[in-house]
Amino acid sequence: MDRSIAVWVGAALALVVLIALPLGWLAYLSVSGEHGATLGHYREAFADPALQKALWNTVVLAFWTGLVSVAIGAPLAWLTARTDVPARGLIRGLVLASFVTPPFLGAFAWVMLAGPNAGILNTLWRSVTGAEEPLLNIFTMPGLVFVVAIYTFPYVYIMVANTLALIASDLEEAAAILGAGRLAVARTVTLPMVLPALASGFILAVLQALALFGSPAILALPAGFHTVTTQIWSLFQFPPKVEQAAAFSIPLLLATALLLQVQKRLLGRRGYAAVGGKGGQRRTIPLGPWRWPALAACLLVMSAAIFLPYGVLAKGAFVRAWAQPLSRDNLTLGNFAFTFFEYGSTRAAIVNTLELAVLTACVGAAMVALLSYVTNRRLVVGHQLVAFLVLAPVVVPGVVLAVGLFIAYTRPPFVLYGTLWILFLAYLTKEMPVGYAQADATFRAIPADLEDAGRVLGAGRLRILREITAPLAKSGIIAAWCFIFIGVIRELSASILLFTPSTKVMSVVIFDLKEEGQFGAISVLGLVMLALTFATVALVQAALGRDVLGARR
Amino acid sequence: MPGVILKALTKRYGDVGAVDGLSLEIKPGELLALLGPSGCGKTTTLRLVAGFLAPEAGEIWVGDRCLSTPTSVVPPERRRMAMIFQSYALWPHMTVAQNVAYGLRFKPGLSRGDREARAREMLRVVQLAGYEARYPGELSGGQQQRVAVARALVVEPEILLLDEPLSNLDANLREEMRFEIRRLHETFGITTLYVTHDQAEAMVISDRIAVLQAGRVAQAGTADDLYHRPRTRFVAEFIGRTNVVEGVAASRDTVTRGTVRLRVASGELEPGARVVLSIRPHQLRLGAPGDATDATNALRGTVRRTAFLGDTVDYEIAIAGSDLVLRAAAPPTPRFEIGAAVGVRIDPAGCVPLADGD
Repeated sequence: MDRSIAVWVGAALALVVLIALPLGWLAYLSVSGEHGATLGHYREAFADPALQKALWNTVVLAFWTGLVSVAIGAPLAWLTARTDVPARGLIRGLVLASFVTPPFLGAFAWVMLAGPNAGILNTLWRSVTGAEEPLLNIFTMPGLVFVVAIYTFPYVYIMVANTLALIASDLEEAAAILGAGRLAVARTVTLPMVLPALASGFILAVLQALALFGSPAILALPAGFHTVTTQIWSLFQFPPKVEQAAAFSIPLLLATALLLQVQKRLLGRRGYAAVGGKGGQRRTIPLGPWRWPALAACLLVMSAAIFLPYGVLAKGAFVRAWAQPLSRDNLTLGNFAFTFFEYGSTRAAIVNTLELAVLTACVGAAMVALLSYVTNRRLVVGHQLVAFLVLAPVVVPGVVLAVGLFIAYTRPPFVLYGTLWILFLAYLTKEMPVGYAQADATFRAIPADLEDAGRVLGAGRLRILREITAPLAKSGIIAAWCFIFIGVIRELSASILLFTPSTKVMSVVIFDLKEEGQFGAISVLGLVMLALTFATVALVQAALGRDVLGARR
Repeated sequence: MPGVILKALTKRYGDVGAVDGLSLEIKPGELLALLGPSGCGKTTTLRLVAGFLAPEAGEIWVGDRCLSTPTSVVPPERRRMAMIFQSYALWPHMTVAQNVAYGLRFKPGLSRGDREARAREMLRVVQLAGYEARYPGELSGGQQQRVAVARALVVEPEILLLDEPLSNLDANLREEMRFEIRRLHETFGITTLYVTHDQAEAMVISDRIAVLQAGRVAQAGTADDLYHRPRTRFVAEFIGRTNVVEGVAASRDTVTRGTVRLRVASGELEPGARVVLSIRPHQLRLGAPGDATDATNALRGTVRRTAFLGDTVDYEIAIAGSDLVLRAAAPPTPRFEIGAAVGVRIDPAGCVPLADGD
């Protein structure tokens, strides 16, 4: 028998434990009472009017986020993929920046920009118009939708832009030569072909909004309303009601799974839109006099997502009082000194975050490399199950995963709560699907023939892996490493339930600082986080030779 | 130099038997082509021989070594074989020299210098001297093909396997590489299994051809055998073009269809039985309609369609007194125009009864 089989089976088993343990406990605890099985926790959870309200708020938030994301992402995708709007590369770069910006940082920035009292935009409005009332209040449902959507629209953008890039202009010209006008072509050919991508982008945006913890915690809680994720979090505050939290997590899990299934269906039937990308070219549509207004619209979106938030974070980091104008005596480096030397937990948190990010990325990249190799080359019986399991965490919102992990690892045989290991497991599980998708694409691009050729000549499977496959897969696996690293750096929703005072990470410290109103320190840590993120993104681009949004050059 | 024996091999994918009780012998030093349409199981057979797949039934022997049974399969790396892939499967991260020398790493007792020297020598044999430091991506398709050949031959395998190696080349290059592969086979004399769906390629390259149909060997033999003495309709139609005539045996050596009577070479027909004949187009000799009408196998017909092909003319002829339409390949002169009446004579030796007419 093949000696390498132990390696494949080992990797697959590790995966099963990783996924099945927390989710199994979650499901078990949600139905276990003192006297055997019960649905009592579900009844309690769903009879509570506060929880019902939270559920409804989540539905509203998710739906509107989806719609707004489509409204922003789709036109932007069309403009950059098909028209001669100026500075397409720049716009694309900014969409990428929005994609990798931690949403909770954006939420903080918008608190500074559009808080009803001190928000910079409101101050400006009052001084210009003399009005008493603020122009914007970010602590509202529309405010929350806005702040979430400006960081989720890239999901729609990616789906639509990549699909448009695959539709050859031939298809549109074939309609035009038969007599269809420009609008008719768009309505009868282009739109129907993009529709599945559009719908699936909508669903991805909805899923993001469902799973998000940071932005609702920052914007909804002060406004006095809850979403499901913040509600689960508050069920965990003292005295923790773990069973109810578990019962409340299950519907979120099921909703996510269902939506993803729908999305997969939509894309599965997309076959026709993905015809090669060979043949026909894609010609750009001249916008004529609309070129500059179109660019202005793009930049307006980008100023909401990038320019204003980044600007206010930068300002906040370097001034004594962020709400006051920039002046010489307002400038300071004091925030840096405070953040790194005076505030208790910052340095430990940065070290924790980096340790966890490097460790998770290394272990994760190794695991997804092995697992995607197993599934691509069908090395073990049940490789379809492996592929299913490794992607399964996609349907698990961070908060829900954290509840499961909390339950699983606060009791024997594995007591990990209170250590960095439980965070490591959370991150590893949560980032697995992203890393796997990247690794899978990598191995898919390496024909099995290349390996078979080596084996016939006398090399064993593990040797082939080392000498043939690994060198070819290297850059793809580096990219997987980077994706996992970025994911860990910005992780908040699972960390917030799993940290203990000695195991804080950067995102948790930022969250703490908010409770204390330390916006200067938040800005400093935010900039550090962004710097780490963008450095890693640059590494991916270098490794893959293309940008992260996945367009062909 | 051992030969290869395949005994009643079976391999299924789901319910579909890709290879279904296939038996075949490749003699020592022989180049045998596995020929068949796509889906006939030829590539599966090759991968069974290479050890990438395990058979569900049957055995594979090389010389006196049993390499595959349903319960034990010697892994590919210990079979002392080499394989040339349809995609060439050159490693893009290695130079030409590194690609070629790779298999020598697994030969004991060769120093690095030995390996490089042998790789260089083999590259000279395939006419690629001077390309050692190039990467595969920098070579043309034909050159990549030669590197793949060099990489396989340099390890001096007992058995050489080729999986449609020429199908990615353009027509001229393909023609040239056919002779090149034949030349290398004559130089090295390695027992070779060559998979192809191209009958012309199989005829040029191989000593013998095994025609595969639905996972079994329909017929194995020399190109000459298969062309002149096909045993089944499938083989007759797959090797070259042919006319298939269904009829009834009137006597031990005569077949009738309507008013048409055809004498056949063999005298072993069972009178009254249904018979299917294969008649190659060039066996039809055309002449003026009045010529020797009462001679053996003399028919009359009308030209329905013609196509000038250079050294021959292709005719489609409706035979008088029947529903038969036969294809004929005749010399350019004399020419017959569409609608012309012609006399057709067929040598009885060219009317081959098929054992399996379905």
